[in-house]
Amino acid sequence: MSSWLELLTDNFDALASGFWVTLRLVVGAFLVAAVVGTLVAALRIAPSKWLQRLGGVYVETFRNIPLLVLLIIAYSGLRRAGVPIGTWTAGIAALGLYTAAYVAEVLRSGVFAVSRGQVEAALSLGFDQRQTLRRIVLPQAVRTVISPLGSITIAMIKNSAIVGAALAVNDLLKEARIIASRTFETEAAFVCAAIGYLLLTIAATIAVRLLEQRYAIRR
Amino acid sequence: MADSADAAAPLVELRNVRKSFGDNVVLDEIELLVAPGEAIVIAGPSGSGKSTMLRCINGLEEVDSGSVLFDGERVDPRSRTIGRMRADIGMVFQQFNLFGHMTVLENVMLAPVKVKGVERDAAKVRARELLETVGIPEKADAAPADLSGGQQQRVAIARALAMDPKLMLFDEPTSALDPEMIREVLDVMRDLARGGMTMVVVTHEMGFAREVCDRLVFIDEGRIVEQGPPAEFFAAAKSPRAREFVDKIIHH
Ligand SMILES: Nc1ncnc2c1ncn2[C@@H]1O[C@H](COP(=O)(O)OP(=O)(O)O)[C@@H](O)[C@H]1O
Ligand SMILES: [Mg+2]
Repeated sequence: MSSWLELLTDNFDALASGFWVTLRLVVGAFLVAAVVGTLVAALRIAPSKWLQRLGGVYVETFRNIPLLVLLIIAYSGLRRAGVPIGTWTAGIAALGLYTAAYVAEVLRSGVFAVSRGQVEAALSLGFDQRQTLRRIVLPQAVRTVISPLGSITIAMIKNSAIVGAALAVNDLLKEARIIASRTFETEAAFVCAAIGYLLLTIAATIAVRLLEQRYAIRR
Repeated sequence: MADSADAAAPLVELRNVRKSFGDNVVLDEIELLVAPGEAIVIAGPSGSGKSTMLRCINGLEEVDSGSVLFDGERVDPRSRTIGRMRADIGMVFQQFNLFGHMTVLENVMLAPVKVKGVERDAAKVRARELLETVGIPEKADAAPADLSGGQQQRVAIARALAMDPKLMLFDEPTSALDPEMIREVLDVMRDLARGGMTMVVVTHEMGFAREVCDRLVFIDEGRIVEQGPPAEFFAAAKSPRAREFVDKIIHH
């Protein structure tokens, strides 16, 4: 019954190390997804048709290839092609670039959700395009994107388990499997892993709640 | 000679303006002069090009040919000076378009501070004065969404006035309002016209046109069909299209 707790205390160092690896993976991929996702969203709303199309190609490519395939391409594919990419870089890049496609779509729809009337009101007061985007569109878009970005982040945390499954990265799931095969306490080991993932996703959920409160309509 | 020409210099000048969306010719050979201090009303059936004409004046739409001058300068949406020109032209929309992420007071203060570089404290004092003028000083700290339509529209007028515009454009400012709120908005507009503001108003409120406006411009299918003093227009519109329009409005 409390066998998972026993297993946790017995293997705490290994599990903590796995948790730490997963955390770093998630944070790294999050940063990549945030930066690339924003850039791609900027392309998608750019005034030029060609830039929009370029952004569209990115989104469709990364959204329509399974993450596992991306990981294999990022690591084995590039290595075979002579690019000496490390497992960390490949893992963070693949997970980050994959997630960026979803981030870009959410940001784009957030911007379009701010009505044309808001933009025209700003322009007719004398704001230029950039000020209008910065002062009127983005602040209102932020409110609509927080919750979907939270869902994407949670999905990314769960997807990070695939990185450990595909590459030689000792993340939380990999450590749990190693422990399971050594102790034969499979269920207990995976319960420990589940708890680790839950900690991360619950933290993300709380962060989303706080952000939502912060950006609620001011009175 | 030069003096009298200066005195008569129009604030808005549309010369042979043409505009189409695809094959749809929306404005055709539009000639319109608006003198400083004049209040004109633009009337016409739905889809006749009233909004488009208004939007050409502040460069929200680009004309295909002809020219739009404001205060003697060409209005060109692509020019770098368009922002400075728009800052002098207030626009009030049917849907109010208040900024939803700001309080009423911030809505009114924002452009003076960020576009004109007015100091925050001065802008705040002025914004409160304007909210007083439009009759809702007590709503300064409210969110736009908590206001009635009539109140939102009055804030939108205050927001435009905060830039000290030389011209005010109104695009059906009362069409989205419940009947009992129309009056409060028209009253603000009437006071504005009486105070000497130059105004171009698209509206179906013919009482307002008759009482407040110097001239009525009737537009149909993108062309100015006739214009003149509102009372004359209502009593004896010359063209059949205009008479039909008047009948519809009066028996509405
Ligand atoms: N952005 C646009 N794209 C395409 N057609 C438009 C656009 N804006 C207006 N139109 C068309 O132009 C015509 C005139 O519209 P508008 O100026 O809004 O008329 P009004 O304000 O008199 O009702 C209509 O046929 C309308 O469908
Ligand atoms: Mg219209």
